[in-house]
Amino acid sequence: MGKTFVVFKREYLERVRSRWFLVATFLGPVFMAAIIVLPTLLAARTKSSSNVANVIVLDATGTDLGARVAKALAALSPTSPPPRVSAVAPDQLPAAEDRATHTVMQRGAEGYLVLDSTTLSGKGAEYAGRNATSLVDISSLTATVRKSVLDMRLENAGMNPDTVAALTGVKLDLKTDKITDKGRQAGGGMSSVVFGYIIAFLLYTMIALYGQNMLRGVLEEKTTRVAEVVVSSVKPDQLLAGKIFGIGAVALTQVFVWVVCAAALFAFGVQAANAFGGPQVAAAGIHMPTVSPLVGVALLLFFVLGFMLYTSLFAAVGAMVSNQEDVQQAQWPVMMPLIAAIIFLAPVIANPASTMSKVVSWIPFTSPIIMPLRMSLITVPWPELAATLAGLALACWGAIWVSARIYRVGLLMYGKRPSLDELLKWIRMA
Amino acid sequence: MSDNAIEVRHVVKRYDDYLAVNDFSLDVPRGAVYGLLGPNGAGKTTTIRMVLDVIEPDEGTIAVLGQPVRGTSVLDRVGYLPEERGLYKKMQVRRVLRFLAELKGVDTRTADARIDQWLERFELRTAERDWGLAKVDELSRGMQQKVQFIATLLHDPDLVILDEPFSGLDPINAQALKDAVLDLRQRGKTVIFSTHMMDNAERICDSVCIIARGRKVLDGRVTDVKAEHGIHNVALALDGDGRGVVLPVLEDRSLVARFDDQNQYFEIELAPGANPQELLQRVVRGGAALSRFELIQPSLHQIFLDRVGAQGVEPGMSGHG
Repeated sequence: MGKTFVVFKREYLERVRSRWFLVATFLGPVFMAAIIVLPTLLAARTKSSSNVANVIVLDATGTDLGARVAKALAALSPTSPPPRVSAVAPDQLPAAEDRATHTVMQRGAEGYLVLDSTTLSGKGAEYAGRNATSLVDISSLTATVRKSVLDMRLENAGMNPDTVAALTGVKLDLKTDKITDKGRQAGGGMSSVVFGYIIAFLLYTMIALYGQNMLRGVLEEKTTRVAEVVVSSVKPDQLLAGKIFGIGAVALTQVFVWVVCAAALFAFGVQAANAFGGPQVAAAGIHMPTVSPLVGVALLLFFVLGFMLYTSLFAAVGAMVSNQEDVQQAQWPVMMPLIAAIIFLAPVIANPASTMSKVVSWIPFTSPIIMPLRMSLITVPWPELAATLAGLALACWGAIWVSARIYRVGLLMYGKRPSLDELLKWIRMA
Repeated sequence: MSDNAIEVRHVVKRYDDYLAVNDFSLDVPRGAVYGLLGPNGAGKTTTIRMVLDVIEPDEGTIAVLGQPVRGTSVLDRVGYLPEERGLYKKMQVRRVLRFLAELKGVDTRTADARIDQWLERFELRTAERDWGLAKVDELSRGMQQKVQFIATLLHDPDLVILDEPFSGLDPINAQALKDAVLDLRQRGKTVIFSTHMMDNAERICDSVCIIARGRKVLDGRVTDVKAEHGIHNVALALDGDGRGVVLPVLEDRSLVARFDDQNQYFEIELAPGANPQELLQRVVRGGAALSRFELIQPSLHQIFLDRVGAQGVEPGMSGHG
């Protein structure tokens, strides 16, 4: 145990002291803040773009609908050039559209809107423009035309324009809460998806990054031949154990710093929100998700076991190869299940209760990433959780057993990358 | 307690169908400077790795300093300088040394004090610059070799194993290494060399074991080994151009069993019962001018050729290192 600790100490201290670690650990929260702030900014961006009013309105209705639409659009985007309305006879419409197209092509306007008899009957209107693919712009155009038609109809029916404005001015936000087996959860459905996604992606990133880090460390010991001296002082199994624990401790340190930063960020964020008019921030959907201790322990176990499973395998890959060129190919079998887990993120988010989602969350190679995601989306029954953890622990033990054997033999072997046959021989031989 | 620093008994190591070490036994007396000699691929490194419990023998037993290597901490008293050398490149020299010392069970404070002493002894810590604070890859190759050597000796081992220690060493470091070896011997430590450079070994070692193709060829004290092989050898050096005279005489199988032709110098093994005086007379009578004619003990290289035959010599082996 003493020598394992010496190895642990070196692996931990050398990494924690490195510039890479400092940058990743302290820029991580900045990145994280960006991830959290970005949705808020995007939410703010759900106003239409400033170009939405810079359009030509071809009014073939023979009414004042074009002027109404133009007025509403100008109000929507006061900074852009106001809409230009031209009244067109229905039979002149094709020619007018050609001219408008020409104007848009020469950037005289963003697009043109055609209002005709079908618009008056409430069926449709036409729009062509550079921003035709912008969902936000199109939906505000649609809403504006729809409201103008409605206003006009109401006024034609004899209603006072002020009454019409008061009655149709409805702004509505849909506040969403999630209901699980435990009841209604404050914070809304979206935030648990975001939380689950962040957790899953964080787990993937940590495992992949530190797995690579382990691989490079082992390969460095091989290529610099320092392994030769080290294994004359410490058994390869102790060396491998010290490395896995050391690198694991580095990852946990990093996660700990991040969690503390995130908690501080949220606490500070809430304070700031209260100081500068909290309702807007609260409405933007920022909530620190509450994590029960049991879920916390389960998350930690998935992280630790998944981490050990993959880092030990990456160590074996590092011991198998003798040079950087062989790494890409040799690590492929280990990277594949990790990448598979990422590919399954979206389908699992879409339907976390499906059979496929369940199966993917049970398989030990994807469970460390998919199960925490499912846990944050739906309530996973605890026997299922326990069984998955047990399966993962078993796979972890198996991976370490196989890796230790490959590591023991591979560490002092140089030259060609071993074939599968040779690898099996190594495992038997050790 | 055994008087031997190393006792290897009937050890066998196979790799698939290849017999790397075949029924090999070895006694290395305590306090000796011992040479493990043989061509590349003879099984020297495999043997050393088994002694260090890096690999396990298929058969046989190994004891170091009177204790079995497996399941004891005896290897903490052994220092090892591998043939393929290297250190953690991005690590500070001092931290590398401390790490390797701690792996041998030396506590941090003791390690730090010894690191200071060694760095000063090898002039890696001077008034101007403390290289101990630099990263390994900032050091020159020669300096890295010194650091590696310090790492081997930092835990004050009772047994030091040096695998091809002179390969790649510059002359200054080679001399420093020889001095350190003699120093160790004086302090009663045991030193084992493995090398294919027999000349080097002949000058430093008290005892040797010659190994070829995984088998022991011979072992014993260097003086005994030479005496056993008797004085049948003649060193002959030409003064000027006399090859045309000398070569026909050397081809006479009744007089000369074999010879090592080095152009101006010949190491000659006489045929059984042949008289060296007759050789001298025939050469001189032929008119060759000699700068040297001497009855000599056979070199280890000669003895090796004698016992293993030229087919045991693989490319890379040399008597002159």
